[in-house]
Amino acid sequence: MIRLLQKNGWVLGLVALMVLLFVMTKVIQPNFGASGIGALSRAALPFAFATAGMAIVVIVGGIDLSVASMMAVAGVASAALMHALGNEGSLLVILAVLALGLAMGAINGALIVVTKVPDIVVTLAMLFVWEGVALLILSAPGGSAAPALRAIITGPVSVPFLPEAITAFIPKSLVVLVVCLAVVWVPLSHSKLGLWIYAVGSDPLAAFRSGVPIGLTRIVAYALCGLFAALGGLSLTLSTGIGEPIPGPYLMASVAAVVLGGVVLGGGVGGLLGPIIAVFILRILRMDLTLLSVDPNVSAIIEGTIMAVVVMFGGLVALRGRRA
Amino acid sequence: MKRLLQTAAVAALAIGAAGAASADGFTIGISNTVQGNGWREQMVCSMKAQALVSGAVDGLNIAHRNTDAAGQLEDIRNLIQAGVDAIVVNPANPDALNDAIREATEAGIVVVAVDQSVSEESAFVVSNNQEEYAYLGASWLFEQIGEGSVVYMRGAAGASADDDRDAGFQRALAENPGITVVHEVFTGWQQDQGKQQILDFIATGIPFDGVWTSGIDNVIVDALVESDVPLVPVVGADNAGFVGQLASVDGLVGAAVSNPGSIGGAGMALAIQILQGDVPEDRMVLVDPALWTNATEEGQAQIAAAQNPDLDPEWPVSVSIDGWTTYSMEEIIACRGPGE
Repeated sequence: MIRLLQKNGWVLGLVALMVLLFVMTKVIQPNFGASGIGALSRAALPFAFATAGMAIVVIVGGIDLSVASMMAVAGVASAALMHALGNEGSLLVILAVLALGLAMGAINGALIVVTKVPDIVVTLAMLFVWEGVALLILSAPGGSAAPALRAIITGPVSVPFLPEAITAFIPKSLVVLVVCLAVVWVPLSHSKLGLWIYAVGSDPLAAFRSGVPIGLTRIVAYALCGLFAALGGLSLTLSTGIGEPIPGPYLMASVAAVVLGGVVLGGGVGGLLGPIIAVFILRILRMDLTLLSVDPNVSAIIEGTIMAVVVMFGGLVALRGRRA
Repeated sequence: MKRLLQTAAVAALAIGAAGAASADGFTIGISNTVQGNGWREQMVCSMKAQALVSGAVDGLNIAHRNTDAAGQLEDIRNLIQAGVDAIVVNPANPDALNDAIREATEAGIVVVAVDQSVSEESAFVVSNNQEEYAYLGASWLFEQIGEGSVVYMRGAAGASADDDRDAGFQRALAENPGITVVHEVFTGWQQDQGKQQILDFIATGIPFDGVWTSGIDNVIVDALVESDVPLVPVVGADNAGFVGQLASVDGLVGAAVSNPGSIGGAGMALAIQILQGDVPEDRMVLVDPALWTNATEEGQAQIAAAQNPDLDPEWPVSVSIDGWTTYSMEEIIACRGPGE
């Protein structure tokens, strides 16, 4: 039991912080309830997908600066396709956009592996390439989202035999997020491929000597990042109802959530749960700052400071734990 | 467990506890998605000043940051959670915010969109006419030149205001067959970027007879003066810096098209008016732009009257809108809202 606690200490700390923030929100705004949680979960959706993708490439020892641009490509592509196909083509659109995401990520990964140019340089270049591609697909915000798909992330779930008083607090968007992440991450983390990703991230040389196909592992990790970026772009289109070709603020936010979530920049350490909880922490923080009507020019400073303090504090605790 | 408690303690310290204010007047939320741009800052200041002088507003809840439409959905929903009475919003997109706006109006919150329109019918709109803005300035420029080529310096690629302006520009272009666009570029509404782009183009040596800008104007005049090329006619917005140049730079012929950031104050005034029970019949109010040119005596007089050394060069000189805003020049420059 204690070992389990120690192993997941960082995640547990984050959960405690999140619960604390929820309590604070309730204190600040006594009316905070189901609708607030629904709003929060919908706002977190694109950030969570971007963060999941970023977490995987950071674990493999890389970084993907093009994640927000890939989201823009997926967002405008899905909006343009749904506009053309309507409700009937929904499933086709989802499959096409996910394939597009995988392809974009795989191109990023293949370029890094084949050219041996550092990942930060390649993905910085691809940031501009994907941004241009998004503008080629839609030069201005446009397209539309199929109403049937938009309904998937709107409102609370309805579960048979469960009273509405409980289900009202479970937004559909949260269920979509959990299902999408679990479908990819749970089998992956229990597979050989998952092990390879951690191995390449912690020590590429050792991994190579143990027979791990390093290039392939990297390409797969970047492809998965592209897949999650596509889900993020899809969620943007579904929440706004249009496709926006200009990338949103998801690059920096995803790196921040990954670090706050206990994934070590450099690779090999961390998981997906911590970063996803970190995404929610950052969203609740943003909500609380709005509820408190903190000066908007100050709120960015507060967000950054809290992040730095939590990460430094966690580092200190980890250091003390090692000495003891 | 220890770590858990410690983390919690730090978080509590870092955030601090604060109570929400409550009194009899209105609380009004503001949502804006471009930060650090002179025009938008003036817009927010005019909202604050109008709320202050109305005497009916107790506090403002301002969500003002750089983000996309999805981020603005989040901000509007947070303002709904904060329980504001009205929300004045500069929409990132005319269609993307409809869900959140409907949630707000269903909760009894008055929503007023300023600067750009929204398609959701339950919201009121006080907007600058962006298509007319571009058409007015471009028509003046094309008539001024008669025949020749122009540099077309647009705003941000993919922004809806830029799209509307492009429609107006293209309409004027179609009416003036003697004019060609020799170079088209997106400034992103960034001063430094726009200046670099015009310097790069000047360096190519390709001649041009005029420049149309989407409001990144004074740095273009600077670049023309510094590079010692003939001063061609320039169209800009009514930003204080550019209006100053129209009066002071020798040999510069140009026109400023008004695009008041004080449209924010007008939206605030409308929101307060509706909260006080006076609901307008029409949900849409369009403010048409005016054009001042130093090529005519009448225009020179308007430009001279508009000079204001107290204003930030990036701020539009039209700091108020007749019939809507009631604050003074000092009050908008002070940029103070109720309770500050």
